[in-house]
Amino acid sequence: MATRAAHVQANAELNGRVTGPRGGLRRLLGPDYRLGYLFVVPAAVLVLALVAYPFGYAIYLSMTRKYVGVPPVWVGLENYVKLTFDGFFQRAVANSFIFTFGSVAVKTVLGMAMALVLTSNIRFRSFFTGVLLIPWVAPTVVTALNFLWIFDYSLGVLNYLLVRVLHILPRGVGWLSEPGTAMASVIAVNIWRGFPFFGISFLAGMKGIPAELYEAAAVDGAGAVLRFRYVTLPGLRNIVIIVLLLSTIWTFNDFQIVYILTKGGPGGATQVLPVFTYEMAFGAQRLGEAVAVALYMLPALAFVIIVLARYMRRSRTA
Amino acid sequence: MDHRLRDLAERLDAGLIARREFLRKAAIITGGTAAGLGALRTMAGAQPKTKLRVWLFKSFVTNANDVLARHVEAWAKERKVDVETDWATFGDREPKFVASIEAGSPPDMAEMHILGPTRYKAALRDVSKLAGEIARAKGGMLPFAETATRLDGKYMAVPRYAMITVFFIRKDIMEAKGLKPPKVYDPDVVEFARKTQDPSKDLYGFGQTLNRSDDGDGFMENILWDYGGGSWDKEGKPALATSFREPNLKALQFAVDTIQKHKIQPPGVMGWTDVSNNEAYMAGKLVTTNNGASLYYAMVAKKHELAPKTLLVLTPGGPAGSFVSASCYNWAIFSKSKHPELCEDLIRWMEDEKRFTEYLQVSVGQAGPVYKGRVDNPYWKSDPNFEAIVQNILKSVPYGHPGPMTPAAVEVRAQHILTDMAGRVVSAGLSPEAALKEAHARIEEIYKIRRM
Amino acid sequence: MSRLWIGRLQLAGAYGFLGALLIIVLFPFYWMTITSLKSEDQMRSLVSMFWPSPVVLDNFRQLLTRTDFVAWFGNSAIVAISSTLLATAIGTLGAYALARLRFLGRAFMSSAVLITYLVPPSILFIPLYAQMRSLGLADSRAGLIAAYPSFTVPFVTWLLMGYFESIPVELEESAMIDGATRFGAFRRIILPLAAPGVLAAALFAFTQAWNEFLYALVFITDVKLRTLPVGLSTFITGDVYGWGYLMAGAVLTTLPVIAAYIYLQKYMVEGLTAGGVKG
Repeated sequence: MATRAAHVQANAELNGRVTGPRGGLRRLLGPDYRLGYLFVVPAAVLVLALVAYPFGYAIYLSMTRKYVGVPPVWVGLENYVKLTFDGFFQRAVANSFIFTFGSVAVKTVLGMAMALVLTSNIRFRSFFTGVLLIPWVAPTVVTALNFLWIFDYSLGVLNYLLVRVLHILPRGVGWLSEPGTAMASVIAVNIWRGFPFFGISFLAGMKGIPAELYEAAAVDGAGAVLRFRYVTLPGLRNIVIIVLLLSTIWTFNDFQIVYILTKGGPGGATQVLPVFTYEMAFGAQRLGEAVAVALYMLPALAFVIIVLARYMRRSRTA
Repeated sequence: MDHRLRDLAERLDAGLIARREFLRKAAIITGGTAAGLGALRTMAGAQPKTKLRVWLFKSFVTNANDVLARHVEAWAKERKVDVETDWATFGDREPKFVASIEAGSPPDMAEMHILGPTRYKAALRDVSKLAGEIARAKGGMLPFAETATRLDGKYMAVPRYAMITVFFIRKDIMEAKGLKPPKVYDPDVVEFARKTQDPSKDLYGFGQTLNRSDDGDGFMENILWDYGGGSWDKEGKPALATSFREPNLKALQFAVDTIQKHKIQPPGVMGWTDVSNNEAYMAGKLVTTNNGASLYYAMVAKKHELAPKTLLVLTPGGPAGSFVSASCYNWAIFSKSKHPELCEDLIRWMEDEKRFTEYLQVSVGQAGPVYKGRVDNPYWKSDPNFEAIVQNILKSVPYGHPGPMTPAAVEVRAQHILTDMAGRVVSAGLSPEAALKEAHARIEEIYKIRRM
Repeated sequence: MSRLWIGRLQLAGAYGFLGALLIIVLFPFYWMTITSLKSEDQMRSLVSMFWPSPVVLDNFRQLLTRTDFVAWFGNSAIVAISSTLLATAIGTLGAYALARLRFLGRAFMSSAVLITYLVPPSILFIPLYAQMRSLGLADSRAGLIAAYPSFTVPFVTWLLMGYFESIPVELEESAMIDGATRFGAFRRIILPLAAPGVLAAALFAFTQAWNEFLYALVFITDVKLRTLPVGLSTFITGDVYGWGYLMAGAVLTTLPVIAAYIYLQKYMVEGLTAGGVKG
């Protein structure tokens, strides 16, 4: 923390110096406005053109009734109102929450365990780290198809193992055909794919915690568990927040895994919002409502992001 | 420049005249002077080749795809047109259509399936003249093809072929038990399945999923019609839980019973996707199943050992008869195309009987007839199993039956309303009455929305 | 218990846990690989489940000779590498500005960096495709190269922001005392120091671009320009899956990225360290 404050102060002093153009413009726009804007313009243009503009159009679309090839008809908030009372939309929201939080919770624990193990006294650390990254790196399409094959009731290897090799079960389980196991299965695939991101981020975070803190705690008589609770976790606080945030958003928007494995079935048991949106857009071809579904949760998520970002920046400059 | 020359140039551009004719007529106009011909030469040389964008279905019948490609190429060479083809599988096609239409740049023409013309009507060109001409040459359209392509009195597409589902039976198992092919679901198929299955050996009598899939949706449509019910009435109004409530309840109950009561289906069947029953059948785990002729193709093409042991029969029926939902692949031209006459010319070329027969020969039964004149093509006698395919096609009815095929009917199918309904009973434990009512409410809503 | 035994137990536990994770992580790849080495009949029957006998190379041979796989691979490489270079460049510059420079709007932009992830691509792509069309970029690899940074730049920027913030200001200070410009200090001092972070960010961007499916599906119609994920999906036609092709293609698609990560994972970790993780 001490070094942090020193950095910030030095930063301030550096910027206080006359390094940029002089004059009133500088006072208004900031001392480094020339270089600043120059550096930031490519990113800003990219985001404005490729994200903000389509996003704006999407917001407009969500307030229209729109069929393919036909001009949109303004309906205001009607789509949103209808969705709020639609049982199938409600179910999709519930499924999305179950999918997201179930998956993120396990990924957090698994990622933390992975990071702890990789910072302990093992050998071949690089090898393990590299290999454990693999699920995150493979194309999702490939992963989903792979698991579709693995989960298959009659020809899949999972049932083969459980029934014929290990003799744990008398007959196979319909992993993707029973509502309970279907949701668990798609969550499992999402966990499999996503936990390395948690692991490697936490690992990097742990490396950034000064060793002196651990030594001091050890001197004070703290065992492994206490050290974890009072040194590791606080040190990781910011990284945990940001990883949780990113992963929650990405998991919430995850489309391919569910679509390839179950298409939202059986009977809508795994119908999550992205699949619902897709089917509304290309199955029912009601584009206005499809976009409304996609944008429905946005205000809540945006609020969370802003609050957390503020919280993190404040603690950064503290 | 002489306006006659310009007219000629435009007609050359639109592909209505060949280069040779252009030069001949132009030579007459310019009087064959050196200067005139010189100007012509530069003009003709500067003509960029017309480019046509054609989107085709990538079928699993790879040989048929090759034939299709060859035909298109031959046409392109003959007409001196640049054709850019895009091949997409069925699943990938819809997002591309939607995106390209919304972007204002659809292709010139595309191969569509039965839902296409209804869905993209707003962006398609009226091809009544062409459709009428081709239909007349081939003895008239079969009724389902007519319904699928004639919307609001205008033909929005030209039918090409039908890919239908049939009932697959393991002939060897059937004959070993001394049985005959079942004609009705209840009780024939149930009895048949009970007598032939052997769960201890992982062999099940009937493999029909009620999950969201083409197989599942198709079966649900068919079974409702088989019992005299359906989602829509004759006027195209929702009838699921109202005028057809009684037959629909019976049909739904039967569908669910195959899994829960009669136990003639393999466990895990509710999780099946379209490919699962194919795999299960080919792995020898099913005695019967409903599937598109694609399964037959897959076995024949790979010389699978079960191919000669498979019998294709008419889809079984119910008290009200035997119904199969129709399929109709067709050609559609987009109204934004700058070369509609070229497109029409290509369609005529592809539907020419000689060429179509060439396509038919390698299709292993996938390219069923949509015109009355094609029903008696000798190809259909070349394999006794093809008889079921043709008969099923002749019996097939489009979505919305007995009413018209409306956008609402198309959407109800696309939204998997019927399979969701079945799923709610089997997996979520709802009573059939409740599930029926729930599904009806959804259909009502879609109906209301689509009418506005 | 003595310290030594606790240590040994912990180590054993660590290895046990890692071993279990390794099995869970590697098994699907093992499965994918042996499936790609089986013939159709082997796949259908449950014989020789865990090791194909005989090993069959047909799937790979047919994949490479009878399909456009090689072209897809080339397209994916071009699109992924180019868009990664673009995204890394844009993100690095933006990150430096947001971390170090003072100008109006900086606070807002720092918070806004991650908000772009809220917008799901499954909706964005329709208006985005229309835009690409009007720019003449549809149906070209250039269109993808331009579009991919839209979902890689935010993470790259955020990652490098933290990384730059952790580099002591004194370094630039002393450079500028010696007469360097701000930009010069950036180029000659800061950038080389930030190399691990930039590499980590680039790896991330590359992975996202290599695996992207939806935009590649919609933006590109020319079959010669297809990328790998879209190409692989063409082996699924209706209800007939070409499992042999699919698995062989999957193996070849995944291998390069895995190889890159195993080789570069050290930098990945180093790059994430000190980047945005300081408490």
